[in-house]
Amino acid sequence: MSTKKFSMRAGAKDVVAILLGIVPFGLVAGSAVVHAGFGVREALGQSLLVNAGASQIVATSLFAEGAPLFVVIGTALVVNARMFIYSTSIAPVLSDASPKLRPLLGHMLVDQNYATTMTIGRFREDVDVVYYYMGAWLALASVWQLSTIAGALLGSFVPASWSLEFAVPLVFLAMLAPALKGRVEIEVAVVTGVAAAVLVPLLPMQTGLLAAMLAGMLWGAFRAKPAEEASS
Amino acid sequence: MSDLARFWLVTIVLAVGTWLMRSLPIMLHGTVPSPKWAERLLRYVPIAALTALVVPGALYVKTGAEYGFAPARTIAAVAALVVALRTRNVVATLAVGMAVLWTAQVLLGRLG
Repeated sequence: MSTKKFSMRAGAKDVVAILLGIVPFGLVAGSAVVHAGFGVREALGQSLLVNAGASQIVATSLFAEGAPLFVVIGTALVVNARMFIYSTSIAPVLSDASPKLRPLLGHMLVDQNYATTMTIGRFREDVDVVYYYMGAWLALASVWQLSTIAGALLGSFVPASWSLEFAVPLVFLAMLAPALKGRVEIEVAVVTGVAAAVLVPLLPMQTGLLAAMLAGMLWGAFRAKPAEEASS
Repeated sequence: MSDLARFWLVTIVLAVGTWLMRSLPIMLHGTVPSPKWAERLLRYVPIAALTALVVPGALYVKTGAEYGFAPARTIAAVAALVVALRTRNVVATLAVGMAVLWTAQVLLGRLG
């Protein structure tokens, strides 16, 4: 097997367990589009083109509430602004990619792929990380599309009382835990967590999540020891 | 403009805007300077991002624009965190988190 193929497979394998958290997310995104009065084509198109679940759900529900279009688009873009930070952060890891490939890599930058590549993939010495990243995305995106279609076709066939959407934060939690390996890491998580608890319900237009992330990043930059920086 | 045209307009503008935010830094890497302070600031992004994605869903249930405290979710998230730290296993974390959530919902007699 070539390194490229092996790396793609390795990426896909490393996200297998995470796929369980994609399904409820896709179901909600797909059924939201149908509830807003559109069909499977719109749900599928949105998932293919936007490829960012939280912003899709926000956009669809604001649209269905009859919000002005600039509010719909503006709010959904704020939800996705964290991806600019992801992109800046992952760019050195993907720097071997050719200029032609890079625009495509950008489209593949979703939470789960970012987190898996940054916390696992880039430390694996047996893989080409660019192909690892693409393989992880292929697995994530396939399940994302299928579950969006399923959500659009079957609508709200899952009773709300099952609270399946809780699987989404649980998967992020499972990805977070192994990364909490040092004092500064734990501090960053605590600062971000407290900021998110306070700011997310408080700040308008979904800006709380971004503000909480920035708070954690600033704390980390303030606390990181210069010696550690040199060694990493 | 019909609702359908408006939906596609939103979808396309959102797709292009999102793609730009996600892609520009990867595309421009190596051509624009990356200052030391930026590297320092970016070091803990994975942890900050994952935490910010977990906490609201672990504390609140959103109905419309309102965030309400959800004790069953908080209990379930704490149990899941313990499992995640001990096992580092995604499936075990999911299973325990969902099981505790359902149990707590029944015991507390409410959704959330």
